[in-house]
This record gives sequence, structure tokens and C-alpha cells, in this order.
Amino acid sequence: MKHTHIHTHLLSCSEIYTHLCENLDAKIDSEECRRIKAHIAECENCTALLDSLKKTVYLYRKYPTPKVPAAARTDLFAVIRLEQKKGKKRPSR
Amino acid sequence: MKELPTTPTDAALIARIKKGDERAFTLLVRRYEQTVWGFAYKLCRDKEKAEESFQDTFVNVYRKLGQFDGRSKFSTWLYTIVANNCLMKRRRRKLEDLLESYDEAPDTDDPSVHDQLASWDDTPAERLLQGELKETLDEAIRKLPDDYRIVFVLRDLEQRTAEETAAITGLSVPAVKSRLRRSRIFLREQLHGFMKA
Repeated sequence: MKHTHIHTHLLSCSEIYTHLCENLDAKIDSEECRRIKAHIAECENCTALLDSLKKTVYLYRKYPTPKVPAAARTDLFAVIRLEQKKGKKRPSR
Repeated sequence: MKELPTTPTDAALIARIKKGDERAFTLLVRRYEQTVWGFAYKLCRDKEKAEESFQDTFVNVYRKLGQFDGRSKFSTWLYTIVANNCLMKRRRRKLEDLLESYDEAPDTDDPSVHDQLASWDDTPAERLLQGELKETLDEAIRKLPDDYRIVFVLRDLEQRTAEETAAITGLSVPAVKSRLRRSRIFLREQLHGFMKA
């Protein structure tokens, strides 16, 4: 991947690609991490990629999960009672 | 002064269940029902399938609790059961090949890649999630092969560590990391048409 800026980056986009996609929010304070951050700060492409990856995860996290339906709970306990009646009074050891 | 009753630990509840205390099993179900339901729902993206998985998981827990030796956290064991329940036998080899191609950084000399890297719209998530984005999110995640989807849900949505995800799925930690990376890129690509500014 080439840079959209004239600046010479210490790392290339392809060098940080794996790191970028793997550690979206990692708070690692290493020399490598500082170089990666310096690259991202100056590279439009990597900034756009990182932002959109973060937003992807964010949208899935924001997607509401419904509460357990009361019917599912009722059905579950009915099945468990059947299990108990079948003679499985307690789990196998 | 009267002592307040303490909440029994998972280990204490499990010990009581193994001795035949059915009320303890009810308490254990109540404690973990939303965890199991939420995980199953996030994996299946379908209420009926999630219900099936929810029931199968707790029935399996009831049947197999004797095999739980307490060496791992109970929640890890529980996630393993849900994941196994949701794993389908069908493999999607073609898509797996595509996902492996995500290990290479895109070539920005290719004009089509510029479009792929366009910035995303800043519309707030709450507004987007009221509309057809929900369907897009569901469709995209359903396309992932099961072992990728499970890793994505465990790591990014349930926020389990790479080590715990490896223990739940039976994958190595590097395999968890590569599946997570590819899943994120795949899902990002699926949403790109919808999201770009």
C-alpha cells in the first residue's frame, strides 16, 4: 500500500496492516506501537481503514440483544423436568 | 445483627446440583440465561435457532455437569457448549479461501482500492440501527464460516480474551488472532457499501 502523503513514514502500510486489523484498541506502549501510531497519524488510507474497522465492531456491539423470552425459559424448565422424570435425578458423574 | 445471605459461588451451586439439589440448578440457569441467550442470538441471528440453542445448551449442562471438573471457569465451559451447539458441519471452503486472502494488505495502485478505503459516514449508530443496517449486519455475519463467526462474537462482542476464546473453540491463540483479523476485514467490506460517506 502506498502513502497518500509526501512524508516518508518509518513503516509502510503493508508492514502495519496485520497489526492494524488485529489490535484495534490495544493499549500497547512499545516502540513498535509508537511507530505504528506515528504512521497512522499521517496516513489517510490507514486512518480510514482503522476507523472503519473500529466502527464495524462498534456497530455490532451496539446491535441490541433481546432479553431471554419468557416462553424460552418456560420451555427449558419443562424439558429439564422431563429429564428429571426420566430418572436422571442428577447429572452424570 | 442478622447476617445477610451471601450469593453462592458457581462452584458451590455446582456442588449442590451434583448432590441432587434441583433448586441450585434453577439458580445456575437464572445466573447464566442471559449470557447463553445473548451468545446464541449473536451467533445465530435468528430467534428460533437461538431458542433451540438456548434449550440444548442448558439440557447439555444438566446432563454433563458431572463431567465439569472445575479446572476452567464455568463460563468458559458454558461458552464451549453453546459454540459446539451452534457449529454446523457444513464448511464454506470458498469463503475461507477469500478470508485467507485478507492477510495481504490491499494494493493502493489499484483504483478500485481507493473506493474501498473511502471514509465512512459519521451517522450515529443508534440512527443507523433503526434502519436497514440491521439487516446488513445480520446478513454479513451470517456469511462468515462458523468458526470465524464464533471467534468474532467471543472476542469482539463478548469481549473474551484470546486465550479464553482459544480454550472455548479448541483453536490455538494465533489461529484465534488470524480468524478475528480476517472476520473484521470481511465484515468491514460487507458494510462498506452501506457506510461510505
